[in-house]
Amino acid sequence: MIPLLQAQAPATSFWSEAFNSSELWTKLIITLVVGLVVMVGLLYAPIRARKPIIAFFTFISGAYWVLLYLWPKPIDRQPGEMPLNTVETVSFWLADSNNVVVSFTQILTGFLLGLGIFSLLKIHLTKITKGHKDAFFSIVLLVSMGLMIWFGYADWFDRLGERGAMLDNRDNWGFTQYGRDFLFEGLLQQMDAAMFSVIAFYILSAAYRAFRVRSVEATILLSAALLVLLSLMGAVSFVWDENVKSIANGNPFILNFQLTEVAQWIRNTFQTSSIRGIQFGVGLGALAMGLRLWLSLEKPGSGS
Amino acid sequence: MNYDLLRITAGVIATIGLYSVLWKENKFYRFFEHVFLGLAAGWTMVALWTETLKANWWDKMVGTPAETGSVATNGMYAYALLIPFGLMGYFVFSKKHNWISRIPIGIILGLWSGQQVQVWWNTYGPQIDATLKPILPTTWDSLIVPSTNGLTPEQLSQVQSQIYFSQAVNNFLFTITVVSVLSYFLFSFEVKNKAVKGINTMGRYLLMIGFGAIFGSTVMMRFTLLIDRMHFIWIEWLRDGVFPFLSGR
Amino acid sequence: MKGNLGEKLQSLPKPILYLILILATSIPLFFPTEVPNEPVESTKDFYATLMALPEGSKVLLMSDWTGSTRGESKGAFRSIFKILIRRKAKVAIYSAADPQAPRVAQDAINELNMERKRKNLPTFDRWNDWVNIGYFPNAEAAINGIANDLKGAFGGRKDFPPNSPPRDVFQSPVLQGVTKVEDFPLMLVITASKTSNFAVERVSGRTPLAFAVTGVMVPETQVFYQSKQIVGYCGGLKGVYDLEQLMESGVNFPDKATGKIKSDKLGTIEGFPDPDNKGQGTRYYPTLHYALALMIIMIILGNVGMFLAKRGDKS
Repeated sequence: MIPLLQAQAPATSFWSEAFNSSELWTKLIITLVVGLVVMVGLLYAPIRARKPIIAFFTFISGAYWVLLYLWPKPIDRQPGEMPLNTVETVSFWLADSNNVVVSFTQILTGFLLGLGIFSLLKIHLTKITKGHKDAFFSIVLLVSMGLMIWFGYADWFDRLGERGAMLDNRDNWGFTQYGRDFLFEGLLQQMDAAMFSVIAFYILSAAYRAFRVRSVEATILLSAALLVLLSLMGAVSFVWDENVKSIANGNPFILNFQLTEVAQWIRNTFQTSSIRGIQFGVGLGALAMGLRLWLSLEKPGSGS
Repeated sequence: MNYDLLRITAGVIATIGLYSVLWKENKFYRFFEHVFLGLAAGWTMVALWTETLKANWWDKMVGTPAETGSVATNGMYAYALLIPFGLMGYFVFSKKHNWISRIPIGIILGLWSGQQVQVWWNTYGPQIDATLKPILPTTWDSLIVPSTNGLTPEQLSQVQSQIYFSQAVNNFLFTITVVSVLSYFLFSFEVKNKAVKGINTMGRYLLMIGFGAIFGSTVMMRFTLLIDRMHFIWIEWLRDGVFPFLSGR
Repeated sequence: MKGNLGEKLQSLPKPILYLILILATSIPLFFPTEVPNEPVESTKDFYATLMALPEGSKVLLMSDWTGSTRGESKGAFRSIFKILIRRKAKVAIYSAADPQAPRVAQDAINELNMERKRKNLPTFDRWNDWVNIGYFPNAEAAINGIANDLKGAFGGRKDFPPNSPPRDVFQSPVLQGVTKVEDFPLMLVITASKTSNFAVERVSGRTPLAFAVTGVMVPETQVFYQSKQIVGYCGGLKGVYDLEQLMESGVNFPDKATGKIKSDKLGTIEGFPDPDNKGQGTRYYPTLHYALALMIIMIILGNVGMFLAKRGDKS
């Protein structure tokens, strides 16, 4: 079966060429050169043209999703079906290019994530080369980064072969797997957990020092917080509820005063609704901000 | 000392190193802080290529050969255009040309903002529907919802189709809370109308209930993370790791 | 004197406060106790949804947690997988919030498999039972892609079959026959961030959604639950403990009269008693009581101190 599949090379088109073919590499290099030339050309764009250029790219990007949402969608589209008219042509094109747009977004975001790494390297390499007093810590950072990159890629290369799935079993581990595990699970994950858990100390300290009943709002906030904290304590809820049940003696009205019932009532009636109100407000703001960004109505610095 | 104990011990030392900041900023803490940053940045560089860019970008751009169980795929050279667009982002470090970094950022923002119409309706449409609840009772047979124990399906259906006084009150409180909180957000400028002012004030008070709930839940989460660290140190490392090792088990 | 006492009550030194917190969160760990508890409705619905999955169902799981929230998320992840393994589900995992998330999920599954191996239980095998689709840097675009064109969104992604180099994930038994998000009877999100919101924004209405979120996301997630945009959720450590109890006791199981956990809304849902059900929730929840009690005491102490200080100033 496989030789037969290999014999059937996928059809090429204007946008695609066969793997490792000279045509592919030629077109790839030409495309790259064209892109770089455009980029260099943009560097010399007049100042007045900068804002329109940015606005153009922003608008085109946003217009795809707006069109995808608002344009009529094809109903019961069959594979290989041809569009009947302009509306269908556009709707087919929008649906077919979704994968490419999403892919481009992922890739561009991936490249931009590298900005943070680039910035980190720039700052710490500068500290080392200029002999800053904290250069030692910068060296520590770069060594840790280098070790993780080395072991991470070494482990990945090991998995690319046929042994890939076997390396999920620790019995098959080698030095690189142990190294990766030590750095990732042994150090990184534990330190990640430690960093986030430090906030618990600050929350306690801040609540002790600042959480004061000085106004009506603070009193309501404190009461709601205390009620939620109590309701999260199953043992407290149990004792409270048992006491209420013994007093109620089956009376449904008094049973409403069980902590679980009170907490649920506060949650369903006030808590959910107030957070919904916040979210409506935030959502309206996000929608307005989204429109302003899409139409580049935000104030400059976008062209300066 | 076996590998697991070694690994856990390293984690414990790193945890204590980071916790030392609670006493005061010190070199021990800074050392582990930089180790953490380095490891996190290093993993990001590994994952970005191995988890994302290789499959999403490189393989699509240059194609893939035929392998066991897979046919060859063609390369789509247009993906090479993403290199200049990605490079534009790095001009943020240039004093003269940093405006050009706003092009890829503008593309990402444009893609985000274009989705907001769809996002807004998908998120809030059902919530608007769920907020508009009946605030007047449809029956006065009982002020509170009767117990459904032992009811036949017809009787149960009859009970569930009615709005009792207690439900109407709850629905009214729910709706008025949403409206007053929303009013507080929308009318953030000074209003002279006493009714609107009153609703805004009520919205501010009711907002505090939501914030109290958020505070309570956040406290639970942070304390849980701390309990997990304490469990890691005292139980996983000390009780189940060090003591058995020292006693030769 | 009262003013002085008031001021003293408000100015406990930070190191003492921190030490008390460390003691309150450490000592109880050495004395595990059983805590009575009534699971909340949202977790009962979450459990009911998982247990209602037909055997062999394909589930899409967005795993967006890392070591930073392992205290809650790892417990939820493990409990959910124990239920999915029981339902013989096939799980397609992807991540969108953090580059570390795919590796963390894989390590957690490997840990679960090691435990199952020690007990001579069948393992949950990569490729045949679960696949890792990888990391998507832009969460919103990724979920939009999944909602509109699943095959395109996951196209080109590879995972590891046994004894073979990496292959396209759609060749795996997990994703065979899957062409759109509606082909999944359930989409699960285990997250510590807003990626659960993104799922509601883009996927809701296409396939049932169920979340396992950290405590800080509980109030927001409750809003989606109330408007029925999600079928259920497991929130924070309380949610994890609820889930472990539900796994042990079921709902209205064996019947409503004798079941330990009851619900008027749900029918009978099986539990599966097993010492293995006791996980992170059972270990940490009793200790949480002491920590929360400490918080309440310190807040009350601070306010009492404030009142005493004010009275002292007045006199």
